[in-house]
Amino acid sequence: MNDFINTYGFLIISLVLQAILALSMYLPLMAGQLSLATPGFYAIGGYVAAILSVRTFLPASGTTFPEPLQSFVLWLGTVFPATPQGQAFPVSLLLVEMLIAGVLCGLLAIIVGLPALRLRGIYLALATIAFVEIVRVVSLNLPITGGSIGIFGIPQPYPTKFEFAWIAVPFLVIVALFVYRLERVRVGRALVSLREDELAAAAMGINPTYHKVLAFTLGAVIAGACGALSAHFINTWNARQGTFDASILILAYVIIGGSRTWLGPIVGAFLLTALPEVLRGAADVQGIPTFLAQFLKDGRLIIFGLLIAFSTLFFPQGLITPNLFKRRGGSEGER
Amino acid sequence: MRFSRKFFLLVLVLTLAALVGLQLTTAQDQAPIQIGVAVAQTSNVALLGQEQVIGAQIAEAFFNERGGVNGRPIQLVLQDTAGDEAGAINAFQTLISANVVGILGPTLSQQAFSADPLAEQAGVPVLAPSNTAKGIPEIGEFIARVSAPVAVVAPNAVAAALDINPDIKTVAVFYAQNDAFATSETGTFQETVTARGLTLLPVQTFQTTDTDFSAQITNVLPSNPELVIISGLAADGGNLVKQLRELGYTGLIIGGNGLNTSNVFPVCQALCDGIIIAQAYSYQADTEINRAFVEAYTAGQGKNPPQFSAQAFAGIQVFVEALTRLDNVIPLETLDVAQTRALLNAFILTGRYDTPLGTLTFTRDGEIIQAQFYVAQIDMADDGQTGQFVFIR
Repeated sequence: MNDFINTYGFLIISLVLQAILALSMYLPLMAGQLSLATPGFYAIGGYVAAILSVRTFLPASGTTFPEPLQSFVLWLGTVFPATPQGQAFPVSLLLVEMLIAGVLCGLLAIIVGLPALRLRGIYLALATIAFVEIVRVVSLNLPITGGSIGIFGIPQPYPTKFEFAWIAVPFLVIVALFVYRLERVRVGRALVSLREDELAAAAMGINPTYHKVLAFTLGAVIAGACGALSAHFINTWNARQGTFDASILILAYVIIGGSRTWLGPIVGAFLLTALPEVLRGAADVQGIPTFLAQFLKDGRLIIFGLLIAFSTLFFPQGLITPNLFKRRGGSEGER
Repeated sequence: MRFSRKFFLLVLVLTLAALVGLQLTTAQDQAPIQIGVAVAQTSNVALLGQEQVIGAQIAEAFFNERGGVNGRPIQLVLQDTAGDEAGAINAFQTLISANVVGILGPTLSQQAFSADPLAEQAGVPVLAPSNTAKGIPEIGEFIARVSAPVAVVAPNAVAAALDINPDIKTVAVFYAQNDAFATSETGTFQETVTARGLTLLPVQTFQTTDTDFSAQITNVLPSNPELVIISGLAADGGNLVKQLRELGYTGLIIGGNGLNTSNVFPVCQALCDGIIIAQAYSYQADTEINRAFVEAYTAGQGKNPPQFSAQAFAGIQVFVEALTRLDNVIPLETLDVAQTRALLNAFILTGRYDTPLGTLTFTRDGEIIQAQFYVAQIDMADDGQTGQFVFIR
């Protein structure tokens, strides 16, 4: 068991974090909005945690900021004291970082969302890709975000990666419960009605802009907090974390897993994150023919791609659909 | 449909579980000494990673032919890091659990900042074959590198330019603002220029996607610079060189590492002639080990070896020679994996290695001290289509 944790501990927590990201993209999709902005908020959340815990917000030695800012920065320095070498980063501060990241991303999402969500379909997708690119280029050029190299030496709250489960797993459970309940209350049904037919929903008295921005903002808060946790988890943070590639990958989690129920994105994220790594391990299994081992090793991404292609061909609605639960009394006739 | 969907899911999950189970029961074979190689074999960094794999494999064959570690062969354990941080951590984790004595990798500095702390924690010596960012050896005592940082390599080009034309007074610097490496490289160039007491004209920026540089060039040409330094990639850098020459610039041009490829030849053609580029490795270096390496590489690949392959070779060589010295003092059979790793790290840092890169030693931090750097100048053939890098230092 110990071996298992040692080898796969990092992967297991990665699964959980990716599942949280998938849920954050699922939220706007619930309201029918194809938003690819999740990695942008994820990147901002990570930078919040990295900047606060590595204290890159402090002025360079010998320089000062203009006055109100200088006092604020010095105050921030007392809230987030330097973590001495070899000492654990306080978990309480990590939670504070996640909170700050979530709130900041939420506010930003309202500002970005109000104009952006006037766009529909492919145009909204393009606008959100632009947002992700802007975040990337800005962080590439700011000194506080460490430029192209990024911020490294982020202090660790736990001695092993697997112990991040203490935060990541409850976080996923809370987010999943939240989305599960959301699907069954008035606001959630309003979101679904917007997805099914925006005109009809508006005619029923549902405010489309309000509900779309709400779903977008909730997704941003989750992505931001997840980014803050990830920054500690992967030791470093840089402009390569929130990219267009990440947008597409997270979208794939939702599409392959199923975009009609909360369980779909989670299953999709688990499968797509685990598969390449498990195929990596499969090549080292003893007793399988050499050519097969070689193929598993070199061709694992081919297998990965084929599985994605096949599952979209045969299960266009995703692997998990609401119908799966119907027989077990889960049918509420909601759609 | 419902049945088949459930069946598909079930099969998928069971297969994953079975693979994980089998993986854990895999026994470790103790016979050859296993050295991990974690570089990018997939993703957009794979072009570099492939060169590193080739270099490491040449080293594996080369040293095993010469008796390995006192008669015991070495075996490379390759793990793909892909191009991202999570991939690097997964690859490192797999190698650490597989009881390798040390790890060569990862390809990118950003990946190193992410994965190296794990190796440090597990006490596994890591040699970085291509991490050039500031702060890599400082990650921990088990982390060292065989790749000289940009800050050490780049100034050699300026020194070479001053050798060619000692009268240089005014320098114009151009860099691609949207490229990570160019942005950090230009900082080094600018510091070097200022440190040598030369006049730095206002720095000009461009994008790697730009094709027209006349605005930037017109900004600096009236000040008559005698040296132009460009940090960018092949296509944009090549075009910039071409337009500089067409607009009448006749002085020396230094290209950054992004222009260190034959891909610039078709862009600026005959006008590429004379671009000065600093190198950490020269395939023309006349040492016994480098001749053997170049011969093995050319036999397999049909071209001269690039820096990345040479650095990967040097990394494996450092592992093998340090292991041999360790084995001479304390036989490896008497040590368990943790002891081997700890002692190996100490032996790596205290050794002196004659590699294809020249003579290498390390500081106590694990920073490389490379005795020799090289500067090459592009020499285009008369037809303006083909060219080569001629080493001038």
